[in-house]
Order: sequence, then structure tokens, then C-alpha cells
Amino acid sequence: MRKLIAFLIKYSVVILFILLELLSFGLIVNNNGYQKSVFFSSGNTVLASLYEVSNSVVEYFYLRQANNGLALENTQLKNQLVELKNQLQVIAPADSVNQNQLQVDPQNEISYIYAKVIHNSTNKMQNYITLNKGERDGIRVDMGVVNEDGVVGIVAKVTEKFSVVIPVINPKLQINSKFKSNNYSGPIVWEGKDYRFTKLNDIARHVKFALGDTLITSGYTYSFPEGILIGTVDDFVINESDAYYDIKIRLAVNFRTLSHVQVINYLNYEEQRQLEKSVTQQP
Amino acid sequence: MILFLQNIARFILVLLVQVFVLNNIRFSGFINPYIYILFILLLPTRFPRSLSLILGFITGLIIDSFTNTPGIHAFATVLLAYLRNPVIKAFTSIEEGVNPVPGFYGFGVGPFIKYVVTLVLLHHTAFFFLEVFSFMNAGQTVLRILMNSFVTITLIIGLQSLKSGKT
Repeated sequence: MRKLIAFLIKYSVVILFILLELLSFGLIVNNNGYQKSVFFSSGNTVLASLYEVSNSVVEYFYLRQANNGLALENTQLKNQLVELKNQLQVIAPADSVNQNQLQVDPQNEISYIYAKVIHNSTNKMQNYITLNKGERDGIRVDMGVVNEDGVVGIVAKVTEKFSVVIPVINPKLQINSKFKSNNYSGPIVWEGKDYRFTKLNDIARHVKFALGDTLITSGYTYSFPEGILIGTVDDFVINESDAYYDIKIRLAVNFRTLSHVQVINYLNYEEQRQLEKSVTQQP
Repeated sequence: MILFLQNIARFILVLLVQVFVLNNIRFSGFINPYIYILFILLLPTRFPRSLSLILGFITGLIIDSFTNTPGIHAFATVLLAYLRNPVIKAFTSIEEGVNPVPGFYGFGVGPFIKYVVTLVLLHHTAFFFLEVFSFMNAGQTVLRILMNSFVTITLIIGLQSLKSGKT
């Protein structure tokens, strides 16, 4: 017994060291995002109030930015209001007078759902964006996501309150695009280097285009209507032996400063899909 | 007594600077120096080891709470507190019975720099590997460790060289 006590005293520092390291390691392993302990996190009341004080000092430096953002959003909303009013005036008499179904204006086939970006990355190989709207706001998988500058990405996963978007700057996503000037189309794929640029494939040698040409969505998918801006041609190369151009596209959207987006709800999604499915299933 | 108050003041100051200033630096994407370990580094040489382990754990846990990384800083800092004494023994020749505070004056310039560099590298290695929690992309993690260690060491040496005289 005396030997045991002597042993414990002799190695007390080592034992304490191992104990504390095990405790720390236990904390690390048990910390899986959702059910982490509130006490040792910035959700703790004391720590949160300290952060609040620090934030109340720092936020003054960002007031100008916040102001600019609000002003911009305000004008956009006003513009949309005007546009909607105009549309309403056009639609109302047409519906009441002409009962026969004329061709529907493509602009009326879609509606927009506003969402705020709550998480966003640009420096990873697989970038994802999280939005604060989900199933209960009418968002479903495959919807296109745009902001005021152009194409952002496509909804990949939806839960009740949130949704995850695969942006253009993720190699998993290929969006079919075409030149505004001559309608030649090809997919764009991100190479994982720079969040400002992407690559356009499958443009054959004989196609004529120039630096600065505009690239828009082709409209061949359920996700985007035709004609939404993707980017502009920044640089292109073609070697003697190549059949296709190597085209570098400057993206219209700045993913670093993304904050508000619109999710495109294509109203005839189900109908179009059913129709196409029924054709392919026929023997 | 003065030494005691000095350490308490250093503890609070270093934590505040770490949490509210240095943790907000995102120079070139992944520079985030951790100078809060200065508190453990500058404890007197003959400070009881078990006590420095516990202090290291508490300091790490406080930083962890602010950055939502439970356990990671605590682990690295306890390791640092444990390895402090062997490293001091290896690099300095302090006689029995004296109890200098680590610094250019207490250790001499060369040994003190060696002491800081070794311990910061050990702490950062433990911390950044635990942070990614995998050995995939080890090259990038090593780069992170080296760059952050460089900044932390520069800051610590710079702060220490501002001091004058015995303290």
C-alpha cells in the first residue's frame, strides 16, 4: 500500500498529464457539430455577451457596407415592383378576354423564391452554399439559383428549413451554356483553381467568337430559363492539333460576397418531366 | 507576490488579445497566430509541474470555448505545459535553487529562442493536426504549421525583446 502511494506521488505529474490529455481528447471526439456541449462553446452566455461587446465596437466599421447593400437591395425591390405591376396589367385583360390558350410568355413560367446565404465557401475544392429556405418555402431539388449578377448554382439537397446549393464553382456541376451571339452551346466545368474563373468545353474549331463575348444559359434544362448571364470570355487558346477550344470564362457572380440569392421555381417542372419520361419509357 | 499578480495580469491580457484581436486575423486565408501560450511559456522555471498542467488545461479550454473547438487547444496546451520542463532542462544550465523567469535575461538569448521555437512548433503541430483530424493532405497541414509557427515565434520574440531589464 505504501509502495502504491509512493508510486502515485512519484508519477503524479505523468498521471495528471495523461488524465488531462484524455479529457481533452474526449472533448474533441465527442464534439460532433450538433450536440456539442453548450458550456464550452461561444453559445455560453458569458462568452456570447463578451463577443456581443466586441461586435458592437467592430460593427461600426461595417456600417457603410451595410448601408450600400441595403440601398442596392431597395432599388432592386422597387424595380421588381414596377415590373410586376406592368406584368399584371398585361396579363389581366388577356386572361379575361381571350379564353383560348395562347402561348404562355416564358417569363410567366417561372417564379422566384428569395433566400439568404447562411454559409458559403470559395477556397475549397468542393464548394457548397447553404440557404435559409427549404422545403416548406417551396424549394425542391434541381431548382436553379441566381442572384442579380447571374447564375449561382443548382439546389442539390433540401431539408425542411434549409437547402444546399452546388455552385458553379464546384466540379460536380456542369451547366449547359451557349454564346449569346451565335447560339453554339457547351458545358462549363470548374477546374478548382480560382473562384472567379471557369472553363467552357466542347466549342469546336469552326465557331467564331471573340474575347468579351457573353455566355448565357441555354435553357435545355429544367433548372434555368434561357438567357441568364453566366460570364464572359476572358481568354482562349487552341493548338494546331486540337478540335476544340480551351476557353476561360470570367464568372459574372462574385462568390466571395454572395449574400442574397433567388431560387428559380419552374412551374411546369412536373409536367415536362412526366412528358419526357413517358416518351423515353415507350418501347 | 508581484510575480503572482504579474502572471494573473498576463493571463488576462494574453487571452483578451488572442480572442479579440489575433483570432480575427485571416491574412492570406490561414494565418492565425496563437500567442496565448505565452502565459504558460513565461511561468517561472520551478513552477510546480502539476499546477502548470492544470493551468494549461484551463487556458486551452477558455480559448476553445471562444473558437468552438472543444478540447483541441486544451490538448495542445497541456502537451506544451508537460514538455516545458524537459525542454528547459535540455537547453539551459540553471543551477539548483535559482528560479528565473523564462526570458532573454533569465535564460540567455540563444537558449530562450531555442526554448520558444521548440515549444511553439510542438504546440502548433499538435493543434493543427488535431484541427484537421486526418493525415490526408499532410503537406498542407505542415505548411500551415510552419507558417503559423513562424508568425507566433516572431510575435513572441518581438514582445519579449520590447521588455527591458530584469522582469
